[in-house]
Amino acid sequence: MPVDVFGSFALVLAFVCAVYAFGGGIAAIITRHPLLIKSTRQAGMATCCLIFLATFSLEYLFFSDNFSIAYVVSHSNRDLATFYKIAALWSGQEGSLLFWSFLLAIYVFSVLLAYRNKNGELMPYVGVVMAGVQIFFLTLNNFVASPFKALASPGADGVMNYVARADGNGLTPLLQYPEMVIHPPNLYSGYTGFTIPFAFALGALLARYPGEKWIHLTRKWTMIAWMFQSVGILLGAHWAYAVLGWGGYWGWDPVENASFLPWLTGTAFLHSVMMQEKRGMMKVWNVWLVFITFLLCILGTFLTRSGVVSSVHAFAQSSIGTWFVAFLSLIILVCFGAYLKNRDYLKSENQLDSIVSRESSFLFNNLILLVSCVAILSGTLFPVFSEWITGDRISVGAPFFNKVNIPIGLLLLFLTGVGPLLAWRKTSTESLKRNFGWPLAIGVVAGLIALVFGFREIYSWICLILCVFVASTVGLEFYRGAKVIRARSGASFVASAVELTMRNTRRYGGYIVHMGMVFVFIGLAGAAFNRDLQKDMRQGDSMQIGPYTLVLQGFDARPEKNYTAQRLLVEVLRDKKPIMMLYPEKRRFETTTENGTMVAIYSTLKEDLYVVYAGNNPETELPVVHAYLNPLVKWIWFGGVVVVFGTLVALLPNRRAMLVLAGAQQPAVAAQPLGHELAPTVTLREGHD
Amino acid sequence: MTRARSIAAFAMLAIFAMAPLLVTPVGARQLSDRAKQMGMKINCMCRGCSMAAGICSHPGGAFSGPCETAKAMLKEVDQHIAKGETGEQILQAFVQEYGTQVYAEPPKSGFSLVAWILPSVYLFVGAGVVVFVIARWRKRTVQLTPSSAAGAPVISPELLERARAQASRETQD
Repeated sequence: MPVDVFGSFALVLAFVCAVYAFGGGIAAIITRHPLLIKSTRQAGMATCCLIFLATFSLEYLFFSDNFSIAYVVSHSNRDLATFYKIAALWSGQEGSLLFWSFLLAIYVFSVLLAYRNKNGELMPYVGVVMAGVQIFFLTLNNFVASPFKALASPGADGVMNYVARADGNGLTPLLQYPEMVIHPPNLYSGYTGFTIPFAFALGALLARYPGEKWIHLTRKWTMIAWMFQSVGILLGAHWAYAVLGWGGYWGWDPVENASFLPWLTGTAFLHSVMMQEKRGMMKVWNVWLVFITFLLCILGTFLTRSGVVSSVHAFAQSSIGTWFVAFLSLIILVCFGAYLKNRDYLKSENQLDSIVSRESSFLFNNLILLVSCVAILSGTLFPVFSEWITGDRISVGAPFFNKVNIPIGLLLLFLTGVGPLLAWRKTSTESLKRNFGWPLAIGVVAGLIALVFGFREIYSWICLILCVFVASTVGLEFYRGAKVIRARSGASFVASAVELTMRNTRRYGGYIVHMGMVFVFIGLAGAAFNRDLQKDMRQGDSMQIGPYTLVLQGFDARPEKNYTAQRLLVEVLRDKKPIMMLYPEKRRFETTTENGTMVAIYSTLKEDLYVVYAGNNPETELPVVHAYLNPLVKWIWFGGVVVVFGTLVALLPNRRAMLVLAGAQQPAVAAQPLGHELAPTVTLREGHD
Repeated sequence: MTRARSIAAFAMLAIFAMAPLLVTPVGARQLSDRAKQMGMKINCMCRGCSMAAGICSHPGGAFSGPCETAKAMLKEVDQHIAKGETGEQILQAFVQEYGTQVYAEPPKSGFSLVAWILPSVYLFVGAGVVVFVIARWRKRTVQLTPSSAAGAPVISPELLERARAQASRETQD
């Protein structure tokens, strides 16, 4: 059987299995028949396996250069590097949607496998919701945007003749960059991953599943999805920085915005969910946050795929939007219906002992995140609305989003420092002084020093103070906790800090994530001081930017399999001493006759020297070098690494919990007073998380 | 304050106080380059890059700088500046030529003003809701707190067990 037919058949079978998992699942919920429950679960797993097969089939078609398939012709060619043949899968509409199904299938399969013998009351509901989402994407994969369509042209008799091309059109040059092989999978893993908390939230609501268990079950899935979304966003920013050649990393492009929206609501959920776990509060809000996050994931995919708003990500657009609008409407209806029917199930124990408390800080944290989300969403869609209402399409670009979001971001940064140090229920004045005195003082001193050194950009200045403040609060938390352990165990400070983290991974992992965000903000603050210079250069000419002197030593042309690279040889000097050579490139792709840019970057913690070979000036025929000096950019990427590390730490089980379990088998140890053993880490703090 | 804490605090102070030194502040940006500043306020209308004319790098193009369209627009800005026109006049000239899509940010007039007002509305409405919620929860807490004047409180075993479970939950992490 030809591989394309095999792939198509696998997709059709996957659709059938998903429909059975959905319909049979509903029947299983009604009848509670164990065999039916088991068979629908297995149908769900079979759906996933069939999607895997279909995806591997498409990849095989790429690797075997099968140019009888329209999608392969459009997005690959024989000379395309193997590395990019993997990325070609998601470089167009049809493949992207199959890739969505593929990643979702990984999550669904994992959930069905992990909970196959657990949570029997809840899982049939969860399975139905997951199957429902899969049905939508499999409908697109099978009937709207099939990636397995063969190339065909009508003959003289009107009969379609299948044809094969000798070579393909090649992959868009913008996508022929290493990060494009890892950025979309990460971002899509974020988008698809939020399906799982959505399925659990909706399933628990429909099943009236008692207690907070669905929250505990979904926490790690939410964190995994959030982590992938974070990595995807940052890799996308790095791609924009290194490939688009404009010296920036975030342009508030509609598709960038779309990826940021579920991240914001997902972040809000990860915080507010603690209110439900600890205090039984905000149950309605949490369920809706999960619903909204999932809706924003679908909306993000819709914006990327439909082209309803113009974007630099214009490589995969079509009129598929109607399907997404219908699906979004259906989800909203189902969510509202489930909520209205079972809202009494979400009755919360909402009480607030004090305004100065962790609970209040979470409320304001959610407020800021949601305001930012809604402001970005309305700004992104404003051109569409303005066209509907006034007939004029009014653009909303980066200057607008910067003006709106920078103050919001600074407020959020402030709360990042304040929130974790407030106690649950009530924070005493003494505690406020103890926790915030030094960090505030350190922040103010840093601000004053910055002023003395000529720091005059107001937002960057405030950002710097807040970064120092937040870093100090986090540092003090680690210091105090580690000091207690050190005093008791005699271990080194670092070992004590590690022990502290491992005893409460969620809390200290969260602090590490906050620290990562501080690094990201430090990097963002540097943007106010960006400089750039453009110059036509002859061999031997030089240009000066900041402390660097760039000397054009020559240029060469380097023919590669898929493109020809014209390369400048730029020597970088600092204080008249050569420090390195940079090789900015301009690539000419033969198949697409498009051009690509490879920016050369000399990156330090202080600044990035970012050199672009812009091309040749048509008037002078001289190569044009565009150099940028971008302070602190490296901190953004470093911050991203720290965020990922912190999230991974937070996903680990608590070491203390394991010790308690071990102790439970030894009555003599377990019988010790709890307060005595844990006093230094628990009772000294006023109930921190 | 213990000696160790003082040393740690001063060490942190010293480390973070050095942070500003990482940035080399520059003076005012080259104000003479007004065309470039104006270029940030208008979109490149080549329909191929969705970038502001001032930063157009036209991805995929033969030249990674301003494309021909953006270059022409920046040149036009220069001409307007030479005539002594204000920023607003220059913007209006471009709107007449290209329509409202040329704005890189919505103008603060007419229907576009809505775009600017909305974020503040979200913030104030959201803050209002949060304040309302806090007030309501506080009121509920006060109502549920037993009065000390009501004599010895009667605590049922169920309530005691619930309180224990809650205390355990809240001090778990």
